[in-house]
Amino acid sequence: MSGLRPALRIFAAEALKQHRRLFGQPLVVFSMLVWPVLQLATTYYTLRPVATASPAAAHWPLSADPHRLLAFLATGTLAYAFFFSLVQSAWHLSFERTTGTLELLFLSPAGRLTLMLANGAGALVQNAWLLTCFTAAALLGFGTLSVAAWWMYGVVILALLVPAVAWGAFLNSLLVFSRDSAFLYTILDEPLWFVSGVRLPNFALPAAVRVIGTAFPLTASLTAIRGALLNAEPLSALAPTLTWLTALSALLLAAAALLLRVGEARSQRTGRLTLI
Amino acid sequence: MATATAWRTGRATAWRTWQTTRRAYPWTYAVGTVLPAALTIALGHLAFHAIGAGETGSGFHEGPYLAYLAVGATAYQFTVRLILWSAKALITEQRQGTLGALLIAPAGRLPYLLGFTAFAVLSSVAEFLTLAVVVAALGITIPVASPLGALAGALALITATFAMSVGLGGLMIAAGEAHISQNTLFCVLGLLCGYTFPRAYLPAPAQWLADALPTTAAMDVLHGSLTGGRTLTDLAPRLALSLLLSLGYLLAGLRGLPRAEARAVERTY
Amino acid sequence: MTTGIQVRDLRKDFPVRDRGLFGPRTAKTAVDGLDLDIPAGRITGLLGLNGAGKTTTIKILATLLRPTSGTVRVDGLDTVADARAVRRRINLIAGGERMVYTRMTGRENLWYFAQLYDVPKRQVRTRIDDLLALVGLTNAADTPVERYSRGMTQRLAIARGLVNDPAYLLLDEPTLGLDAPIARDLRRVVARLAAEGTGVLLTSHYLAEVEELCSHVHVIADGRHLAAGSPAQLKTATGSHATVRVTVPNPSPAIAEVAARFGATRTPADDGAEVLTLRHPDDIAGPLAAAVVQAGGSITALDITEASLEDAILTLTDRTARTEAVPA
Repeated sequence: MSGLRPALRIFAAEALKQHRRLFGQPLVVFSMLVWPVLQLATTYYTLRPVATASPAAAHWPLSADPHRLLAFLATGTLAYAFFFSLVQSAWHLSFERTTGTLELLFLSPAGRLTLMLANGAGALVQNAWLLTCFTAAALLGFGTLSVAAWWMYGVVILALLVPAVAWGAFLNSLLVFSRDSAFLYTILDEPLWFVSGVRLPNFALPAAVRVIGTAFPLTASLTAIRGALLNAEPLSALAPTLTWLTALSALLLAAAALLLRVGEARSQRTGRLTLI
Repeated sequence: MATATAWRTGRATAWRTWQTTRRAYPWTYAVGTVLPAALTIALGHLAFHAIGAGETGSGFHEGPYLAYLAVGATAYQFTVRLILWSAKALITEQRQGTLGALLIAPAGRLPYLLGFTAFAVLSSVAEFLTLAVVVAALGITIPVASPLGALAGALALITATFAMSVGLGGLMIAAGEAHISQNTLFCVLGLLCGYTFPRAYLPAPAQWLADALPTTAAMDVLHGSLTGGRTLTDLAPRLALSLLLSLGYLLAGLRGLPRAEARAVERTY
Repeated sequence: MTTGIQVRDLRKDFPVRDRGLFGPRTAKTAVDGLDLDIPAGRITGLLGLNGAGKTTTIKILATLLRPTSGTVRVDGLDTVADARAVRRRINLIAGGERMVYTRMTGRENLWYFAQLYDVPKRQVRTRIDDLLALVGLTNAADTPVERYSRGMTQRLAIARGLVNDPAYLLLDEPTLGLDAPIARDLRRVVARLAAEGTGVLLTSHYLAEVEELCSHVHVIADGRHLAAGSPAQLKTATGSHATVRVTVPNPSPAIAEVAARFGATRTPADDGAEVLTLRHPDDIAGPLAAAVVQAGGSITALDITEASLEDAILTLTDRTARTEAVPA
């Protein structure tokens, strides 16, 4: 089933499935709005003694303005919620192994990579819309946004969405064939915010952490979003970051395709959905 | 006689939990409990040096920032761990299908829950040693102004957490839900109770809310006696308030528990 | 073009690690040189005891497993090289499993899979309505599956298996755990689909079901083909006998002589009566009864138990077990 039209139908199908699974669930409201907002406030206050130190403004001009510091952390919270919600949805997809529905997906002629992409995208939309609306309203309300051109908002949305969906497809493919998904879930929860500069500017991170962070699309995604929204950086200034983000997304998709191919071939040989 | 029975129930519970956990201890669980605190301390460490250049703003009077943060993050993680064990004890029984057997046993609920807490406190020791290594590796030394006060603060924190867990545990079995209630409580405690930053930063209404939680006063005692440079005498009123609030929570929780249990049984059968 | 499913010299080995992660690898043979033909418009049965290789065979036909060697062609398409085209032509219904999404309604489940199968847009609506009617879920179409009963969920799973209007339907124990009336309805649906041209492969534990539905049956054991034919042919070929029991209230030496002549065994019954039992491949009840009456006996009961397919399969598998026992 190649071509755009069948792919769009798979996206529509997954969108409905994820809508039914997630929409109106109290858990989504809590995990994708209440908890992130409370954690955002905690992080903000925890960093405040440092941000108000007299040398801070010289090292990190943004920290001098409480609203801008909050905006910095809020964009981090939002982007982290995007990427982590995909970890959760991949974790959930791995349970379709036990309910037997995963076998039905592999029985169908639907493109495997398309399915993984559609699954992640569907879950992302259902999970993230609340926090997105909240953050957008808060940022606009604080008046801290400083954007080079109106269409940079489009760049921001793309810089957040495209890598997140690629990340989701990669994680889905990984967890579908993984023996111990709890391990990945733990690894990708707390350490993800630390290495990706969710709560700290990149310059504050040690070089080793920064190198690890580069491998996660969340890092570059955040650099682009913050540059565009908080520092009015034009497209030219963000070009290197966006190029890297594009390359990383392509790499994740290629890895997902490879995982699916190898994983499915192996399951056809052994009768078991375990690769790693 | 009653004390002997209570002691036996508590000891049996702690022993059983130790046995089942020892058999199937998920290492991811340990990582999940040590990592958040370690990362929070590391975050503060990096920010303190790279952004604040080793200084804090004039509004922070709680002593050395990193030591304060290390104490707060560790205490927070400890609170989370304790609640996970004590509050979830009953709903875990419910999910395993053993709640019914527990409810018809003549043993009291308080020693049973205390048994769980005792186990949680003991089992956390290894995890705190790991955290201590992290703190030491970052070169953070924690000043101890009043060892007695610190001990009293730690005990007050355990008591406060336990007191809140009893009510929360009842809430969980009545609602048949643990995930949302526990995580919401964790977020609220982390924000309000002055673990990683002084409560004075919060807006006034949030501070009033914080004062209604026994963990807040307990953290005042803990922070005050370590990095705050206060003596136990200074902190005695806060300690008393914490214990008083804990007693209130405990009594309310124990009163509500039978009703919650009845509700849980009705819901499942 | 429907040329049926041809299975040729099919073999499937599963890799097995005996001890831990680094233990020696051995292969467990689940299917061993199997040949099958599943024509369109007919229900073909695949029978065998547990572990005979039925489910493995079905999963290979469904492209979920890849053969170690040998070929499976569906309308001339190879299940490995042309997997995607094959998937469009087939579907699989396995009994005893939920296999649907509980948060969605029945209609939404079917719509979801219709999208995955790229069912022509104009047909989606009518096909879903038809399928819901077929499995008797029209009234529950817009109820979330989590509120369905077990039987309703299984009926939905059946409708799901028909959503792409498959040319070939693979049924792996489809009535397992179904209530009797629902199982009967399913049999009707399957018979109708076959009459309309669908090729069906059916495995089932309920041999009555196979006898009722299948015009052609393959018997396999240990992944090997044992016999094929119509249920009646299989019974004859295995020499399965009908059992005749004649109860005579007034036994006499003459009756004993009749019994000896026919080779029937005599067992005493209550009140001095005697039961003559005879196992025979032919319809012998009439002549036996006539001979008894001629010898002056009366008959209070005449009972004939027909040979069953089950007997035939047990005989067949027993035979392989015996032949295998010789070299060992």
